[in-house]
Amino acid sequence: MGYIAARGGTTAIINAEQLVEYLRLQGGSTPLELIQIRDQLRHAVGRAMNEGALYAPMLAALAVKQAEGDSIEASFLLRAYRSTLSRIMPTLPISGEAMRCMRRISASFKDIPGGQMLGPSQDYQIRLLNNLIASETAESVTAVLAAYEQLVDAGMSADGAIGHFPKVADYMRQQQMIAPLPAEPDTSEPYDITRTAISFPCPRSARLQSLSQGDTGCLLTYAYSSVRGYGDAHPTLAELRFGYLPIQVAHPLTGEAITIGEISATECEIVSKAHSVAAKQSTPRFNLGYGFTFGHGEVKAISMAILDSVLTQAKAKGLSGESGPAANEEFVLLHSDGIEASGFTAHYKLPHYVTFEADLKVLDRAREHTTTQSQSRLQEIATRTQEASA
Amino acid sequence: MYTISHILSHSPVTTVTALAEQVLQHYPADAVTIISGPRVAMVQLRMQESVANSVFNAGEILVTETRLELNGTFGFGMIIGNDPTFATALAVIDAALRLPGAPHADLHTTINDLGDQLRTNQQRQFAAANSTKVEFDVF
Repeated sequence: MGYIAARGGTTAIINAEQLVEYLRLQGGSTPLELIQIRDQLRHAVGRAMNEGALYAPMLAALAVKQAEGDSIEASFLLRAYRSTLSRIMPTLPISGEAMRCMRRISASFKDIPGGQMLGPSQDYQIRLLNNLIASETAESVTAVLAAYEQLVDAGMSADGAIGHFPKVADYMRQQQMIAPLPAEPDTSEPYDITRTAISFPCPRSARLQSLSQGDTGCLLTYAYSSVRGYGDAHPTLAELRFGYLPIQVAHPLTGEAITIGEISATECEIVSKAHSVAAKQSTPRFNLGYGFTFGHGEVKAISMAILDSVLTQAKAKGLSGESGPAANEEFVLLHSDGIEASGFTAHYKLPHYVTFEADLKVLDRAREHTTTQSQSRLQEIATRTQEASA
Repeated sequence: MYTISHILSHSPVTTVTALAEQVLQHYPADAVTIISGPRVAMVQLRMQESVANSVFNAGEILVTETRLELNGTFGFGMIIGNDPTFATALAVIDAALRLPGAPHADLHTTINDLGDQLRTNQQRQFAAANSTKVEFDVF
């Protein structure tokens, strides 16, 4: 068998693309509408947006459809589309405190200011397949929409609230459980990993940007490893909130803040154990970690917050015992981008004929070397045997 | 109290477009000069995190932007998503509300009504979420 460099395959590639489309539609089912995907597969859409680092629900729905539900492929499509657009300006900085919350919980305190609100969550359901969803009808949809009205009636408050809550972290600061905020806010321009390749040690803004567009599964794995024993994380959920953030930009003429709409987002703060303080001589306090994602991505936001906390402690040499791979900032940040990781792994599917031919030559030389060594050893034994006989 | 841009950006595109049409009917077609757009582009989300109060880039947001002049007055419209009509309507209203002599002050009544509707909608949306508020039993 000969191994040679080759080119070609255009017809095969075109036919392969057609075959993909055929497999998607061969069953004769009605093609999915993007609005159905946006509304009914909101977690898939959210994941594509936060890993693709582009908030665009309808485009994300298209990406999910085109990728046939493959989350990494969908985020790849969005990330690629993002590179074709120009960036006009940054938004004005926005804090999660401005969020119109639909869900807001804490595992640190039972009674948090404003109360705990479960919101739209499947956390408290038994994980049994619901056959009723498999056979939804116009009547069952109407019933669900009517039930919503009952929820509105049940939860309507007299004060006209729309879901703004204080941050649990602020309460913890007031109680001196966590470190105070810096006296002067950091006004430096945040690092932008889309313009400048990340290098280490990296600023906090680079870490958070990198984690916020990281692969959910990867962040989960690293965070889990640190919590489970290959690290020193002992997290408690200070607050997790999901809802809608109003987005503002500066008016190009007047500079006044202009609201351009709102996005759905998830934000999380994690506290970790008391002895892990950066300055050993100061009063012991909890460490705080921060997580944020587009859409409703709770596991990712929690994982990001855990990793932020672990990496902050590692940088301050505040970890005790096993630090683990999740405490290595360079390792975590350079391997958590799902698009980069999958792209590199998938490239092994591409022809490597020349590379492999070189590998084969090395293999041949190694074999020749081994054979030569073996023959010379045999010759040596034969010579010694002849000498002994003589 | 919502700002005008907050109300308009959260209102239905058909309503905002109707408001812009209401303005434009007072002017000839050549009173509007498009400076740029409508164009689909991105803005970079700057999040202020709660650990060190620092700002980081949390990703891009797809927006549509229009810049124009109405009777020589600059107007700026930007909306999240791909919606050239919405962005242009916002730019027309932005210019109309800063025209000398406030010839379109009547828009404020309609915008205030839209603000009331927005507040009612958001109150209802929150009420549904608020129905999941936990009442703990302490043993």
